[in-house]
Amino acid sequence: MQTKIVSKNFEIPHANSLEVALKNGRYTSLEKLFTYQPQEVIDIIKTSNLRGKGGGGAPAGAKWQLASDFEGKKYLVVNADESEPGTFKDRQIISKDPHLLIEGIICTCYAIGANSSYIYVRGEYEEFSDILQIAIDEAYAKNILGDEAKYPVEITIHRGAGAYICGEKSALLESLEGNRGHPRLKPKSPEPEFYFGEPTLVNNVETIASVPFIIENGAEAYTAYGTDCSSGTLLFAISGHVEKAGVYEAEFGVGMWDYIQKLGGGVKNGKKLKAVIPGGASTPILPAHLVMEAKLDYENLKSLGSALGTGGMIVLDEDVSMVKALKNLLRFYHHESCGQCTPCREGTSWVDKTLDKFINKTATLQDLEVLKSVSKSMNGQTICVFAPAASGVIDGFLKHFESEFLECIV
Amino acid sequence: MKILVDNTPIECQEGELLIDVLINNGVEIPHFCYQQDLGMDGNCRMCMVEIKGQKRPQIACDTFVCENLEVSTKSEKINEVKRSILELELLNHPVDCPICDQAGECKLQDYYMDYGLYESHLCTPKTKKGKHIDLGSNVMLDQERCVLCMRCVRFTSNITKTGELGVIGRGDKAKIAVAPNHPLNNSYAMNVVELCPVGALTSKDFRFQQRVWFLDSAKSICHGCSRGCNIFIDYNETKYTDEKVYRFRARRNKEINLSFLCDFGRLSYKELNEKFTSSTWHVETFKEYLKIEKKVALASPSLSLQQLQAIKEFCEKNSIALYSLPYVDESFGDDWLKINDRSANFAGVKELLISTCQNDFENSLKDANLIINFDHNLLKSHMPENKQLLHFSTSKCDYGTVYAIANFAHENGTLINCDGIRQEYYATKYRCETPRLVELLEELK
Repeated sequence: MQTKIVSKNFEIPHANSLEVALKNGRYTSLEKLFTYQPQEVIDIIKTSNLRGKGGGGAPAGAKWQLASDFEGKKYLVVNADESEPGTFKDRQIISKDPHLLIEGIICTCYAIGANSSYIYVRGEYEEFSDILQIAIDEAYAKNILGDEAKYPVEITIHRGAGAYICGEKSALLESLEGNRGHPRLKPKSPEPEFYFGEPTLVNNVETIASVPFIIENGAEAYTAYGTDCSSGTLLFAISGHVEKAGVYEAEFGVGMWDYIQKLGGGVKNGKKLKAVIPGGASTPILPAHLVMEAKLDYENLKSLGSALGTGGMIVLDEDVSMVKALKNLLRFYHHESCGQCTPCREGTSWVDKTLDKFINKTATLQDLEVLKSVSKSMNGQTICVFAPAASGVIDGFLKHFESEFLECIV
Repeated sequence: MKILVDNTPIECQEGELLIDVLINNGVEIPHFCYQQDLGMDGNCRMCMVEIKGQKRPQIACDTFVCENLEVSTKSEKINEVKRSILELELLNHPVDCPICDQAGECKLQDYYMDYGLYESHLCTPKTKKGKHIDLGSNVMLDQERCVLCMRCVRFTSNITKTGELGVIGRGDKAKIAVAPNHPLNNSYAMNVVELCPVGALTSKDFRFQQRVWFLDSAKSICHGCSRGCNIFIDYNETKYTDEKVYRFRARRNKEINLSFLCDFGRLSYKELNEKFTSSTWHVETFKEYLKIEKKVALASPSLSLQQLQAIKEFCEKNSIALYSLPYVDESFGDDWLKINDRSANFAGVKELLISTCQNDFENSLKDANLIINFDHNLLKSHMPENKQLLHFSTSKCDYGTVYAIANFAHENGTLINCDGIRQEYYATKYRCETPRLVELLEELK
């Protein structure tokens, strides 16, 4: 059931060292890369239908084109600020096959015409960032990176300071510029991001790591996997009440229940499934009956009222209290709201505090109304999608499990 | 170009910000974070409007006008959105209006009366933050009243570029603060008090002095230097006390001071409240003085054109040599509003062709027997020997005979600033105890 494209070298011992990596096919795509013109590379990515794998699922090729269309200095920023609860795929790439990421960065920089790139690594990923730094140093020593390389690329690692919001691309750039990590106002028409005023492409680690395969084997080899709209594979992560939590790469479009049973080893201790949060904490929850029909691709999950997100599934068994599960998530949103926009700053704290009353079984019907109305106020009225995500989470829980909340009302 | 706002066509320029168009045309649009001279930030979400063709309400401060734009600011749906945002703004607010200095000019109060009027749904504890924090430069902070519009932060980082203020903490724990041992310290610091739309930042100088609804405002010009910053004089008069000026506020003028004032100018209102002893005015006595041979007069370069004109005519008629010297202070100016030339109307002096030659004045002074000083600071604390010295003064003088005259708060007049801009200022509406200079000179004719 697994399809190993990005995770091909994960099992190989010491694949993070350049020596082993070179033996296992790293940097072979570069030969082919330099036979193409940059625009041809972008066209290949467009044909491959590669979608951003950080959660949004926007077509990568279109984003590359936006950055490429600008003249002058450009940057590539790799988003490795992986802090979505239930998501732990990027760190696998960084720690187990960092040279794949470096190879992808060279391909991407070549395509958009950038010579400098930054990898914004989550602050807590100190260990993985060290592994990545060693790999980068090795690549510099072998002139794969740096001025002497065939296409000069500089890579700099920047470690974040521990704010979830810095995974949002414009907040990430603010943080990288040395400012407080506040998301920027969204442009009215499509345009690239800007880092110190220069056009910049921001992509997730896994997106960049998927590029070498496409360059080497062509766009068709990639579209052969997955569904029509969601091509290729994704490093799905599975955690929670399953026997074998972990990261397993699979094609888009596989059945969710299938995936949980075959790769996740089924629900832990033979218990019944209650629900699954399909793609990181910020996607609306799916109750068991919907899990059975869910397929792991963007379109199917959207039609079920949820989203694929980062593909990090959190499995909840029959014993889980949904009130406590929601409290857990809302505490996270309360803690991580950056505090810029009013609805998010005040709303996330209000719903979190309100949920305490449900936990203590002192809630009233009015508190349930507060949850619903605040969730409504948080949706669609903020600069970034943090508050709408929190709102979606609340709505999902209330839609499918309202009875459990009603039980807590005095 | 025209856009439709609540079914009324409004004329505007392509590419203008919608919120500017609404504000300039007097359409009510509630907002906290937007300020015309600080620009947009988009964080308060209060200026939501409905735009035809858009699924969701949009913020007016991040919408540029374009042809055929149809905007609704008053629909039921949009009022509901504003109400919900306001409820969130007020959620952790202490609602201590009775002891808050901002009460009466507070945007939270105003908007609650306009769009709120809901019953509170809050039944969880409020977030606690710091109170009465002294930020330095006369500015006090109450973090609980703050709506985090970031106007003050943007002012120190974008306008003064001193960057003392910042936000620390996240989510509902986010608060405005200064770094330890780095207090607010710049010569424009008190602008943040005026920029603050709520009672979070208050002025140590003004707080607890007067309720703002007891104050009247007069449109005036700051006399602190030749920049001619536009101000409001906030003053009042109670039953048993004289009129008192409580503060200066910046009055927006796009060409000169935008919405800002320097702290020196802002605090210079105190001079207007000074009391000093004065001789009784008798026209006949004064006419006796005028019989003295060899007279010289010195006029303050901060007097209005009208006053200077009257002085000039008076001096010509009574053959008095008239001079005016500028107030120059090399340590005062900076690269923004403050200017070394501390005279409010030196350009006006030059326009009236009054002599400004220091040497000529000193030579005339040596020969003169009578000196008439029209409010010039030079002679107020300096006594030329063996001379008769007469003052028409708005402040205390150490020597000579003093006739008190009304200060600029009680005068209408015209000033010309350093850039040649001619500006009017207007008197406060109360009766003035001291006579106006022009009227005194009129009596002498």
